[in-house]
Amino acid sequence: MNGETGNWQRVHPASPFVRGWLALAALFFFFGRDAAERLLRGGPVFDERFAGRAPWLLLGGGTMLLLVVAGFVLSWYFTRYQVAGGFVRVTTGVLVKQHRQARLDRVQAIDVVQPLLARIFGLAELRFEVADAGQSAVHLAYLRVAEARRLRAEILDAAVRDAPAHAAAGPSARGPEAQRPGVQLDAQFAAGPAGSAAPAAPADPTERPVLAVPPRRLAGSLLLSEQAVVLLLGAAASVLLSALTENRSFSFYLVPAGLGILAGFWASFSKGYNFTAATSPAGIRLQYGLLDTLAQTLPPGRIQALRISQPPLWRPLGWYRIQVNVAGYGTPGQDGERSARTTLLPVGTLQDVTALLDLVLPEAAAAQPGATKPGATNTGSPDANAVLIAGLGGLAPAARIQAQRDTRHTTGNDDGGFTTTPRRARLLAPLGWRRNGFAETGSALLIRTGRWWRHLTVVPHGRTQSIALHQGPVARRFGVVDLVLHTTSGPVAPRVIQAGLAEGRALLLAQAARLSPKTQPAGNPAGDPQEGPQHG
Amino acid sequence: MPTEAIDPPGISWLRVSPRYLTARLLGWGAEAVLVTAALATPLALVLAGTWRWPPLWFAVALPSAYLLLALWRLVLIPRQVRAVGYAERLDDLLIRRGILFQRTLVVPYGRMQYVDIAAGPLERALGLCTLKLHTASAGTSAVIPGLPASEGARLREQLTARGEARLAGL
Repeated sequence: MNGETGNWQRVHPASPFVRGWLALAALFFFFGRDAAERLLRGGPVFDERFAGRAPWLLLGGGTMLLLVVAGFVLSWYFTRYQVAGGFVRVTTGVLVKQHRQARLDRVQAIDVVQPLLARIFGLAELRFEVADAGQSAVHLAYLRVAEARRLRAEILDAAVRDAPAHAAAGPSARGPEAQRPGVQLDAQFAAGPAGSAAPAAPADPTERPVLAVPPRRLAGSLLLSEQAVVLLLGAAASVLLSALTENRSFSFYLVPAGLGILAGFWASFSKGYNFTAATSPAGIRLQYGLLDTLAQTLPPGRIQALRISQPPLWRPLGWYRIQVNVAGYGTPGQDGERSARTTLLPVGTLQDVTALLDLVLPEAAAAQPGATKPGATNTGSPDANAVLIAGLGGLAPAARIQAQRDTRHTTGNDDGGFTTTPRRARLLAPLGWRRNGFAETGSALLIRTGRWWRHLTVVPHGRTQSIALHQGPVARRFGVVDLVLHTTSGPVAPRVIQAGLAEGRALLLAQAARLSPKTQPAGNPAGDPQEGPQHG
Repeated sequence: MPTEAIDPPGISWLRVSPRYLTARLLGWGAEAVLVTAALATPLALVLAGTWRWPPLWFAVALPSAYLLLALWRLVLIPRQVRAVGYAERLDDLLIRRGILFQRTLVVPYGRMQYVDIAAGPLERALGLCTLKLHTASAGTSAVIPGLPASEGARLREQLTARGEARLAGL
């Protein structure tokens, strides 16, 4: 069709029917309903009245069926794809032709999606994401599962091979384990420590399982989520109101609300079911889903920002949730699938969190906070844990120690290096002022917020797009500023709230210096002077 | 209350053109006249006796309240224009704005995706333009209004050249 070398291929011939099964089902329903109704009423399938119309009905139905099928077949025939020469190309369209090509080294994520029907037929959809925050750049539906996996491996191989010259390799390039012989095919990706839980053997032999979320924990996390609390409170309130007013109608309002929440539970459960995370040379691989399954692959350095959260009811159980910003996935909104795709961990223990953090942002937590902390000459991992623990659950010391802390907050303290809201602004956030704060590590900025709903946001320096200081009239009275970090769109919106004016200014300047490569423009993409000594 | 700037000390800010004040004032004047005229319609109709419903005090209060607000904004406009500033540093561009609600933004040259220059009819008549920087983040709203056209063109070339030299990609 055009002068490109290499072989163009078509997606699986069954795919138009799998995609358009709803239209076919509607057609059969429309024409089959009449006959079925008669059958149910006990009449014969073909009575006299029907026999007269039968030829016309059959003709009409046959024509429509033929048109629909012909449309499917035409769209299938004119959809062709090719992976060659560093590009993936797709042409579609019968009348209006569309030719799309995307560079393999610009891949942000690759997903293999299997809706239920496609799973039955052994088919899968391949989605290729680039950084445009909209819908998938390229999606091929449907391929045989083996073919989809092969294509994914091919694309990722090309992407990882091309990456070193490109800044996108980012801060997750070199890790201490890269030299270890074994599963690594490529030193690009530093695999983290294997978790204690060992999920079932993956299909891809290069994958190494890291963690799995047991279904019981997932169910528990849903039962202890905010929606469950709302449901219980609503039920209690309506029962109480019914008892007090002797009016039954309150329970009627409860039924649809309860059904909606239950449907939400079911969606969350079926999305998060059988969640496993694994490492492969090409990146992190997440797989999950009960009916529709999805396997995501995130090449190294593609995570733009990350947030670890803990609702209050999860605290006694020590569970956390991780959400990420990935360029190309966009903002989740109401779309259940997108919110599942931006979830790195639906529910997990502290051990799972550290294992995943080691994988996706190996240096984020591995460098000591501040610049001049004594005693950080060893591996740095105890420090990393201290920062993480302080970020997840820490509080600044209360009043008496605070005064003495203010004078030497850079030289180390017992709060993991977090700088919190100054005491003078405690009226602005009576609960959160000891909690809201930030800590700088060699490769990322850690922001913690929330006393009840705890959040810890991690933004790698190399992934921040721009920074802004904000201050309104009330904040000025208390001498505090907000610092906003802009990253690609997603569920995580990093914001340091109510930092002291001097600290905020200093942080702005320090971050600005970290964002810009000071040395050779192309040599050190992460642009961080601390990075070398950490792993050299 | 004297307001303390939140931006870091030691930065020499470049201010936007004084003609931008003219543009803002003209825009303010047009808006004030149109909205006042619209809000004064009931008053005119009540005075002419065609309408009975809105009581006279309400018909008077409506445009007056708006006029008061508009005058308050008029007083603020020169301060707002003076507060807009930008500074080109070695590795990044700083943009500040606002006095009551202040914002200081830092965009590293390497993170820029592209630069827009726009000029409406009023701006063009005054020889001004508005420069907008785009990064991979939708949250970056880096806008410098009221640049002289020549300065806008210079800044665009400068930013593009520096961005290419420090390109970081995504």
